[in-house]
Amino acid sequence: MSEVDIEWPWQYSFPPFFTLQPHPETRSKQVTAWKSLILTYCQKTKTYVIDVREASQFPVFNNAAINRKLEHSVIVSILCELQKHGNAAPLDKAKNRWEIYWHTLEEWASMVYEFVSNRGMQNTVVTLYELAHGEDTREEEFHGIQQEVFVKALRVLERERKCEVIMDDDMQGVKFF
Amino acid sequence: MRRRAGLGAIQKQKLEQEKYKDKGNEIQENQFEQMTKQLEVFKINLEEFATKHKNEIRKNPEFRKQFQEMCASIGVDPLSSGKGFWSVLGIGDFYYELAVQIVEVCLATNYKNGGLIGLDELRTRLIKARGQSKQHQEISKDDLIRAAQKLKIFGSGFNVVPMGKGKYMVQSVPGELSMDHSAILQQAEKNQAFVSVSYLRRELSWEMERSQKALEHMVNQGLAWVDLQNPQEKLYYFPSLFTACVNASS
Repeated sequence: MSEVDIEWPWQYSFPPFFTLQPHPETRSKQVTAWKSLILTYCQKTKTYVIDVREASQFPVFNNAAINRKLEHSVIVSILCELQKHGNAAPLDKAKNRWEIYWHTLEEWASMVYEFVSNRGMQNTVVTLYELAHGEDTREEEFHGIQQEVFVKALRVLERERKCEVIMDDDMQGVKFF
Repeated sequence: MRRRAGLGAIQKQKLEQEKYKDKGNEIQENQFEQMTKQLEVFKINLEEFATKHKNEIRKNPEFRKQFQEMCASIGVDPLSSGKGFWSVLGIGDFYYELAVQIVEVCLATNYKNGGLIGLDELRTRLIKARGQSKQHQEISKDDLIRAAQKLKIFGSGFNVVPMGKGKYMVQSVPGELSMDHSAILQQAEKNQAFVSVSYLRRELSWEMERSQKALEHMVNQGLAWVDLQNPQEKLYYFPSLFTACVNASS
């Protein structure tokens, strides 16, 4: 388990936080806190994919200090809640592997498009690597974004006819309009 | 032969009776007048006292407490009257303002403590919320209890729960807390915010059923959280007593 530099909320050290609460109102508070904790954790650690089967590898779901773990089924149900607001999506039918969007795909898309518009980069082709890892985007929130998530965000722009994604074997790029 | 009572005697008797009555009325009126005068003097004195010490009463919590106690001993409740000479003091306003702020803090922290808050945490948050401008006005726990008790008039929604040893909690959600529930809170308070059935058996000699009933009630009130990952038994946690929760900034 790797050390994580994150400011844990008080709930993280609260043992019952790791047991799904029977009382509906309490449970809803609990789930809300979990949703926000998962997103914060993924953002801080740049975790784009969570495999629920290996959840105990992630400190967020496993607080060794108090010996409490979040159960598999509870994690899935919270991820399903995140999915409702576009903050997560399952990658397989069994809902084992999940992509986490601490910014929704739409938010990522508009960040990228704003950057491109400000730079007057429309009508030129840029490689995905250049955009996500290039020197120019070092200060941008989307710098270092994982390719799979990046492409999904660009597909959002594509549907709005604001770009065209080019996925050739030798060159993955995008042309903005 | 005995002389029969004449008309004159009856009239004489009647006259005497009337005289007595007049005299009685006179005395009564006199007394009333005197009492009114005394009351007037008392009122003036009290007003003078209140006005003279207005600032101390507003500023000094110890003084305020004594003033409250003094009023209580002569059967006056400065909180219940917003008009008349008490309004000179603005002491009612002071407590009304506090009461409103208590409600605000309780609502703002409800999402994490389920509507139960320790008096210390309440005070810290309230003072923080009052901000810099009111800093000169020190708020004591006694003030808070007085103000919170005033909120009872809104029904069972607000309650001050004595925890013993001068500690209190303020409950801001409807639902009665019995003696058993406050006993549980007291136990949890000295046990890192949690208890269990066996813990209560050990500390209070309670039967399992009694503990379970009381604990489940508190879960259903949203005051307690259950922890099923303790290897021995189910634990019941109270966020309102959990240090990290109490100290959390948000």
